[in-house]
Amino acid sequence: MINTQIFKHQLIHLMRVSFLLFFTFSTLFAQSIAIKGGRIITITGPVIEKGTIIIDGGIIKDVGLNINIPHDAKIINASGKVIMPGLIDAMTYYGIDPKDLNESIKTISPELRIIEAYYPFGKFGDGTGEIKANDLLSGGITTIYIAPGDATILGGQGAIVKTAASTFDKMVVRAPAAIDITLGSKPGKLNRKENRTPVTKMAAVSQLRDTFIKAQEYQNIKDNPVRDLSMEAMNLLLERKIPARIQANGPGDIRTAMNLADEFNFDLIIDGGASSDTYIDELADKSISIVLGPVSHPYISGEEIPDLSEYPTVDEGLAGRLHKAGIKVAFGSFSYGLGSLAKGITGKWLLIDAAITTGYGMPEDAVLRSITLSAAEILDVDDRVGSLEVGKDADIIILDGDPLSIKTWVERVYISGKLVYTKK
Amino acid sequence: MGPFLFLKNIMKNIIHKNSIILFILLSFINSQTIAIKAGKIYTAEKERAYNNGILLIKNGKIVAVGKNIRIPNKAKILDYSNYEIVPGFIDNHSHIGTPPEDLNEFPVVFGPQHKIIDILSPDKTYWEKAYKGGVTTVVTGPGSGEVSSGQAVVIKTWGGRIEERVLLEKGGVKIAMGGKRSSPKTSMAVTSFLREKFIKAKEYEKRIIEWEKGKKDSPAPEKDLALEAFAEVLSGKDRIRSHVHSAHDILSILRLKDEFNFDLTLHHSTEAYKVPEEIAKRNVKVVGMPLFSRIGISDSVMYTGKIMNEHGILFAFHTDDPVVSSKWQRGNAGMGIRYGMTEQAALEAITINPAIIANVSDRVGSLKKGKDADFVVIDGRWYEPKSRIEKVYINGMEVYNRERTKN
Repeated sequence: MINTQIFKHQLIHLMRVSFLLFFTFSTLFAQSIAIKGGRIITITGPVIEKGTIIIDGGIIKDVGLNINIPHDAKIINASGKVIMPGLIDAMTYYGIDPKDLNESIKTISPELRIIEAYYPFGKFGDGTGEIKANDLLSGGITTIYIAPGDATILGGQGAIVKTAASTFDKMVVRAPAAIDITLGSKPGKLNRKENRTPVTKMAAVSQLRDTFIKAQEYQNIKDNPVRDLSMEAMNLLLERKIPARIQANGPGDIRTAMNLADEFNFDLIIDGGASSDTYIDELADKSISIVLGPVSHPYISGEEIPDLSEYPTVDEGLAGRLHKAGIKVAFGSFSYGLGSLAKGITGKWLLIDAAITTGYGMPEDAVLRSITLSAAEILDVDDRVGSLEVGKDADIIILDGDPLSIKTWVERVYISGKLVYTKK
Repeated sequence: MGPFLFLKNIMKNIIHKNSIILFILLSFINSQTIAIKAGKIYTAEKERAYNNGILLIKNGKIVAVGKNIRIPNKAKILDYSNYEIVPGFIDNHSHIGTPPEDLNEFPVVFGPQHKIIDILSPDKTYWEKAYKGGVTTVVTGPGSGEVSSGQAVVIKTWGGRIEERVLLEKGGVKIAMGGKRSSPKTSMAVTSFLREKFIKAKEYEKRIIEWEKGKKDSPAPEKDLALEAFAEVLSGKDRIRSHVHSAHDILSILRLKDEFNFDLTLHHSTEAYKVPEEIAKRNVKVVGMPLFSRIGISDSVMYTGKIMNEHGILFAFHTDDPVVSSKWQRGNAGMGIRYGMTEQAALEAITINPAIIANVSDRVGSLKKGKDADFVVIDGRWYEPKSRIEKVYINGMEVYNRERTKN
């Protein structure tokens, strides 16, 4: 009897303590943050010298020169630093085991969802359980697009995720985000090795066309008794709920991509776009955006050195020329990101790629916009990320100097107002 | 446009049909003294840089460099007051000048007699990416498919015939440490294979010497060009360039050096940062990873330059073109600065240090009286990716002009 009494007492005490703890922590969590004194590159407005950003509840509450700082706000001194929105790597295969990238025996698989292969938990059976892409965070990358591999013609549905979050669900910004298609010779080459169709580009296009027509027919059947997941995914395209991202580097492939978009009236984003000079006016007229590959490196992606006619030599000037023609440009690392399996340049180096293009005709403000807001607009997530504007997610990076200098390091990264990376 | 095109055609004809006239014409232009004024001149000599400096050149050579230099009355003056000038960059390990398929005689594993000079193309498309990026001298050589793939050459990236451009024909014999072939398969088998070849080369040399001592009375020993190449390394006429990545392979090649005493430079040197004391002790030179490729290079490797500097090891960067395009050699130095090297040390790592390693520092590698007038004019900090190279000079001749070429 007495024992239960004591137990009861202890229990009540424990509950009181834990309530108190919970209360303190929740107020701590809800506490607003003021990042003060830095040079703020908002992307949308003019640069603010010695400005302040207020973060509350993971959202940007205010940004400006003389703004009210809540009395209970935690103040972060950023004087002498540069503050800008988290960067966006608009094309990666990050966090996906290479064996999970390509369902290579099936050439056209719109029903596949890359989010189901996404593994942002570090090494299998190892690590702390943090959901974090530390290598990308060290380069200031806060949002990435992840795609199914480019070894098949239509690999499936890509997704947009953040590079750190408290739970997996919070990490996902949008899924599905686009349908990923690959033109060019890579799928055909692999098929030739495996002795299966399509081997030629014309067969590839014809099979794609076939798929689009079937999707149109599927769309026209009312009250379909049998669900077809691949057709449902294609209908997202036809209804223009999501765009198609077509990897096209050769001039012929770019032409094919534009023709398909005209034929079936879907939204198109060109990935790679190495030879887009050939159709620069047409691309501009049609407002087709381009996600460029790593500008300083001849090897873009894939298991082997790709066909050099499709991936021409280093072209640092392409971004500047596209920008001048009025075409919206983002950058993609096209990289894998699993340790030593990493192929291509990881997104961590996005700022250096950006810096290179400025030497070759891309204005500095335009290139900073490219890797933030333009990328967000192309991916259609600019309501949440891409600039330091009131109401957007507090995805913020603090740098120790000019973002476009090779000497500059990312010192801190905030995602949804939470400090997720600090430089050692 | 009309007269310009006409002139261009005449020039073309002259170039194609009568290069001797052109050469005389050029040498005439070249014999004039040129005074180059620049906002900043980095000489790559020990900590020597001049604000508002002057570089005086004549006949393709540097006559003077400094701050208070008297400019001769008849000198032509070039004003680069808003620019930086640095010595022409030197890339100590490159594969330019030939199509990539000609680089490896695999599956032959032992071919030190192969010479890259035999196949270098005069076609400028192979070279222009280098001089456009400020690289004025390269050590270009065969690949790393074989255990020993052949001999490199030290050559300028621009100038007359290939033969005229060569600074040093014996650019080093390439070997590749580490197991990656079907045979010899393992790291230890590769090292053992090389040990045997060095012993055979020693014996070969001995046979030749004895034959020469015997006043060549007996029939000459059978020629073996492969062993001869290794024998030249052993007698100090040539050097070893060793492709090597892992620390244990670095230790193996150092052990071979201890046994056979040859001049050695490590190339790529991925894990040199793990064994710097062993490298320093033997006065071995290190050519470090092309950091600007940024592919699969961990932060530890990124700090290689800094660590080598701290241990007093002579250190240079290379592009390994096509791994990094020749034109981004200065990007490697930029990454070196990012990862802890001083600006001076990083500049030395792409100018004077690779020149010393290549045995051509009497001609190139720094801006010093008597050396070749090879230099680069840049519109901002020389190591920043966003700066652009405006002009490149080799032997006092403007070989690249950004404005004129429009890219």
